[in-house]
Amino acid sequence: MTETVIQTHKLSKIFGGLTAVDSVDLTVPERSIASIIGPNGAGKTTFFNCVSGFYTPEEGDVLFYGKPIQGNATDKICAMGISRTYQNIRLFSQMTAIENIIIGKHPRLKGTWLEAILHNPRYMNEEEEAVKEALHLLEFVGLEGLGDHLARNLPYGAQRRLEIARALANHPKLLLLDEPTAGMNSQETADMTAFIKSLRDDLGITILLIEHDMKVVMGISDQITVLDYGTKIAEGKPKEIQANQRVIEAYLGPGAAALSKKFQRKRSHDA
Amino acid sequence: MRTSIKNGIRLGSIVGVVLIFFHLTGFSVVASSMLGNLLGNASRTANVTRLPIINLIIFITLLCIFAGGIASKNKEIDSWGNTLIPGAITGAFSGLLVAIFVYLIGIVYAQNIDLRNYLPEVGLPTINYLLFDGKKFASLLYFGLMTVGCIAGAAFFKSVIRADWRKKAQTTSVQTFKKFVKKSGIQKFIGNKITVYVFLAVAALLLYFLPTQWGPYWNYIMGTVGIYILLGLGLNIIVGLSGQLVLGYVAFFAIGAYAFGLMTALEPHAISMNFWLAIGFAILAAALTGILLGLPILNLRGDYLAIVTLGFGEIIRILIKSDMLTGFTNGPSGLNGLAQPRWLGNAFTDINFFHLIVIFVIVAIFIANRLQSSRTGRAWLAISADQTVAQATGINTFKYKLLALALGAAFAGLGGALFASRNQFTGPEDHILMVSINVLCLVIVGGMGSIPGVVVGAFVLKGVPELLRDLESYRLLAFGALLVVMMVMRPEGLWPKGRPALEALYYQKHPKDSPPDGEVQS
Repeated sequence: MTETVIQTHKLSKIFGGLTAVDSVDLTVPERSIASIIGPNGAGKTTFFNCVSGFYTPEEGDVLFYGKPIQGNATDKICAMGISRTYQNIRLFSQMTAIENIIIGKHPRLKGTWLEAILHNPRYMNEEEEAVKEALHLLEFVGLEGLGDHLARNLPYGAQRRLEIARALANHPKLLLLDEPTAGMNSQETADMTAFIKSLRDDLGITILLIEHDMKVVMGISDQITVLDYGTKIAEGKPKEIQANQRVIEAYLGPGAAALSKKFQRKRSHDA
Repeated sequence: MRTSIKNGIRLGSIVGVVLIFFHLTGFSVVASSMLGNLLGNASRTANVTRLPIINLIIFITLLCIFAGGIASKNKEIDSWGNTLIPGAITGAFSGLLVAIFVYLIGIVYAQNIDLRNYLPEVGLPTINYLLFDGKKFASLLYFGLMTVGCIAGAAFFKSVIRADWRKKAQTTSVQTFKKFVKKSGIQKFIGNKITVYVFLAVAALLLYFLPTQWGPYWNYIMGTVGIYILLGLGLNIIVGLSGQLVLGYVAFFAIGAYAFGLMTALEPHAISMNFWLAIGFAILAAALTGILLGLPILNLRGDYLAIVTLGFGEIIRILIKSDMLTGFTNGPSGLNGLAQPRWLGNAFTDINFFHLIVIFVIVAIFIANRLQSSRTGRAWLAISADQTVAQATGINTFKYKLLALALGAAFAGLGGALFASRNQFTGPEDHILMVSINVLCLVIVGGMGSIPGVVVGAFVLKGVPELLRDLESYRLLAFGALLVVMMVMRPEGLWPKGRPALEALYYQKHPKDSPPDGEVQS
């Protein structure tokens, strides 16, 4: 039996009169890729923000390895081992790529301001190790040689990967990816998909993913959760989700399910 | 053709208005007397009636040549026509404006009306001078002079400072310079450790011997620059690194000065603490104030923080001055007879005091530099870039912002204590809002977050006004114009911050680990 990394229990987030997330239950086992999909405004990013501590949910629990974490500040949650990326890239654009990664490592470093002034051996060692590891991560995400460029000067795809490298520097147990392939062409998307897979397989990181690109979602997910108007309408393996009527209706409107069946029949007939 | 007429008229109106403005404020006369000083045909204090007319003509011609240069600049200068026509239009239009103005003051002059009630600088002798010794056709002279001057300026820029050269210089001067540096072996020379040591030794010798040569006045000015460098380094930590716009920085300066003063002055407490102990006490008191101020307000961001801290700065000054605390702070009359540093029983001269300030500045730069490139400095920069993300990346933003305030305040406390001790006096009027504004200015002018920028900024803000003393009462006008020009031309500051090239540095240290292709982009 694999351990559960993150579990939400009847999680609700209310903005004024709008229930953005409505008692959502989700369980993600270790070393798996779980995706959250749903139409625009379904509450996916709000759900993410509740897990990563940006929002405090009104009701329900977020359990990280069985311990409730909701209500903690984001820096505490990050230090526990939950890293995230953002829908719109949010790098520290005035700093170099490698500095961005070292900042991601911040919770794992101990150097204080006094040590920084004194440059004692322990501090110097730690700094050098940090640079070394950051260079490794840079290579891991395929940006070797670009470390001294300012983050804002990197191409779009590189910025996305740099954001992931920054998240990885924290040695996370759980990685939250918010639309990692947004705005990428098909080649870049394929690269990113393979990269996310390698995060799970090589580094053993559990991944929770928001994604609109169905090819990516169906290709890499171990489990898919579908949200619509803040509620969970389906959960299961990619195959099950593809066949789920409510999901199809949520995306394409009522009556679409029948249409799609007809279309599928026709397609299989053609084949 | 149409655009060149439009641009010419636009530039001409600016030039004309500027010259009229110079005439009205009397700056033209001052400039002429400065030229006289330079050419040796008039003493600096010479009366308007004694100034040679030729100086005014030279001044106007120089202005026009400059304007003509600008007029021809925006054009693709391939032919003489394209160069001279904009120059001619600029000159003619500005000449027209000035001619009308001169005609009007000519009427005033002819009627013997004294304008000094309204324009204190424009007396009849001045008008007489501006009319080229009361010439009747002065306006025609102005028109001709300015037109010819602008054409000459355009021609000068076309022929002497060639267009293609200028274009090249704008785009590639930096690259050319870098190439030159690489080729000529200067880079090796600069990178050489011995060179660095020699340079440092020369700088140290200069800092040691210069103060003994240039006299107490310059010691005082340069000491003030040093104290402002200290203040700038502190505010740079708060504003430049951690990104909190604090406008009440003078409060920490005041706390430092008064902590030092109350511990060492005879009145009102007669504690008579040792100078060095009192300096330490002032630093601690300022840092503590930083923390106490920070605790309630650190959740504010941007404008709100600026307003709250602005109020805090004023509150401290008013409290010091208030009747309520007169028994404790001596009120408006301030603290007198503060401690002077002593070393082995000898009192410090102004030269020693300057050296003391230099030592403190060097230590402060050392500390600020190490902080900036550390884990702490990175956290501050991340907070200033995007506080939400910084926190989500695991940075305890509250702690780091508080730390920035405390450390920045400590620098200000040191500056305040030194300032008070050097004057042997401190009073509420030393701690006005202008101090905060000046320090913020020097940080911005130098380049936010840049330590060399702070040093350059302090020299520009506190040193250059002294160099401009020749301009007398126009000093601040010229200085303000200089600041505006500087910020328009270099909004990122005179010496903007760079980021360390950690990757290149690492591979320099560990060449074995370099990537296989051996190409490390920097």
